[in-house]
Amino acid sequence: MALIDQVILFVVDLLALFAVYLIISTGLNMQQGITGIPNFGILFAVAGGAYITGGLSTRLAVILLGIQTNLDPISENIAVLQLVNPILRSQPPTAVVLLILFLMIGGMAGALMGLISSAPAVRLREDYLAITLLAFGEILNVVGIGYKPLIGGPIGVNVPDIFGWAGSYRFYLATLVLLLVAIAIYAFAGYIIKTPFGRTLKAIRDNEIVARSLGKNITQYRTSVILFGSLLCGMAGSLWVLYSGAVTPTYARFDWTFLPWLMILLGGIGSNRGVLVGSLTFVTLNKLIIYYKFEFVGILPFDIVWLNYLLLGIITILILIYRPEGIVQEKWTDPKQNLGAADKPT
Amino acid sequence: MELVTLSTIFGWLTYSAFLSLMAVGITLLFRTTKVANFAHASFVTVGAYVTYTLTVTLSPNPYVGVPVAFVLVGVLALLQFYAILEPMRKRNSSTVMLMIATLSFDIMMLGVVNIHADYLTSTFAVPARNILLSESDFKFMGQPGILFVALGTLALCSAALYMLLNFTTLGIALRASMENSSLSEAIGINVSKMLAISWFIAGGLAGIAGSLIPMWTMVNPNTGTLLIASMFCASIVGGLEEIYGAILGGFLLGLVDVVGTSILASHVAPWVTLYEPVIPLLVLSGTVILAPRGLAGVHLRRGRSWHL
Repeated sequence: MALIDQVILFVVDLLALFAVYLIISTGLNMQQGITGIPNFGILFAVAGGAYITGGLSTRLAVILLGIQTNLDPISENIAVLQLVNPILRSQPPTAVVLLILFLMIGGMAGALMGLISSAPAVRLREDYLAITLLAFGEILNVVGIGYKPLIGGPIGVNVPDIFGWAGSYRFYLATLVLLLVAIAIYAFAGYIIKTPFGRTLKAIRDNEIVARSLGKNITQYRTSVILFGSLLCGMAGSLWVLYSGAVTPTYARFDWTFLPWLMILLGGIGSNRGVLVGSLTFVTLNKLIIYYKFEFVGILPFDIVWLNYLLLGIITILILIYRPEGIVQEKWTDPKQNLGAADKPT
Repeated sequence: MELVTLSTIFGWLTYSAFLSLMAVGITLLFRTTKVANFAHASFVTVGAYVTYTLTVTLSPNPYVGVPVAFVLVGVLALLQFYAILEPMRKRNSSTVMLMIATLSFDIMMLGVVNIHADYLTSTFAVPARNILLSESDFKFMGQPGILFVALGTLALCSAALYMLLNFTTLGIALRASMENSSLSEAIGINVSKMLAISWFIAGGLAGIAGSLIPMWTMVNPNTGTLLIASMFCASIVGGLEEIYGAILGGFLLGLVDVVGTSILASHVAPWVTLYEPVIPLLVLSGTVILAPRGLAGVHLRRGRSWHL
């Protein structure tokens, strides 16, 4: 393969992963960075979006495309997809509609998981909350493995190929879609932070008692932020499944909780621009490690993946000790400057 | 058909003894350093691999690893305390940041354990995953030795901890720094040193528990990670404010987990066993929502709770 093709492939793959992590980190930053809810269980929402998209997508495609078949969409997944995918390939508009539908399903699944985790989240102190949410995150993997009709048990399922109509440009198109969604979400989160709503969230984070004394309903604000953040995580999970074309119940705490935390720490907790910088820096670093992994095969007496764990752990600890504010520090808003149209009493 | 078999009961006792040893450490650290230590997961795994490495390299008796694991994992916990938590505490890092630091240390150690496992395989040509050493365990009264060793170790360790905390000057200083660290500092107790000692003890206990696990069940580099929710559950059910509550919590969680699942699986539906890992999570969330202070916080009489 020519070098240029290799580089393009590398960049496309990197951008797709970056897009997914940008969405998740934005959702996490809204919770931990802006509102101060230590959500150690974002895996719960990501896996929720991914598994429910995986479970429903083939079933829905069969119903919506009007395919007459007695095959089971989950246990006879491959055979069913052989009926579904050609139709999707010949009808791009249908595929786009399905994409939007699946994305909404993923988002709603994530929000549902957020609703479940918000029950403890509005009541508990931060340490108890972190422990509980960390534990919550693992539940869906157990269900995914145990309950076969969801995503076919341990082996997982394939999902309809929404991007198949682009032919050999499939991955470029998929990456482009992921990036567009991610940037839209990122911009929207940046907008929310600047609104009075966003400033209320920061006030709750900085001093709950003062916020309450000003008549803010803390529980309501915290619940809506968890719902919003989890919705984003669910959408990211859904997008990742549609991009990779399959889902297995192996979503790990390391990939979908620890790494997003590392990204927002690296970028600067509480800063929306930090989320972008952190995700991009981190995904590039990680991709380079994996890319050069093969150079080390045979030299080191162990799998280099573990070196990755070791390095990432050390990097996080160093950031926490020496630069807890991250690369991009959160900008302190000057209330006088920010008194825009939205703040004026009506 | 009887409700529970004897082997289920023995399984419960063994599992609970391990859980209690781990949970005591979590509670101790929570009391002294005010941090939920996620790295307890890797402490346990390291303990298990100490045992296995020693059986591969030195001696076929798996119990040789126990004291080694106690010291080694204790030192590891000290390292975590001095290299990570102490600098962060000096910078007044928030509780959440401290917790992420322990999680990062856990991830780091996960890498180390896996590298060690790969190294064992490549150097000694032995399997280093899915390890089970119950073959080299002894039998006593027809039961696997680990049952007696686990319960005995728990009894010994809790007795030693009780003696230390109640009958030595060091223990009194330790308890004082748990109750009120600034006041203890004012009367000349080196609180930082006390914290370090509590980290050594907690790490050591987790190491002992880990070093015994290979004789009871299959061990992988992610063994600790799979157990961490149960450890926290036992600790919280017992009440994070009370050290010995963790033992009670361990046995209660074990009862629900092992005996409960076994009864449901044999009398209701066999597929229940598939969802066994969810049980500690449900117990945990139920406890934190209904009785956040755990069993030790349940008031027996008005105005009185269980105390040391």
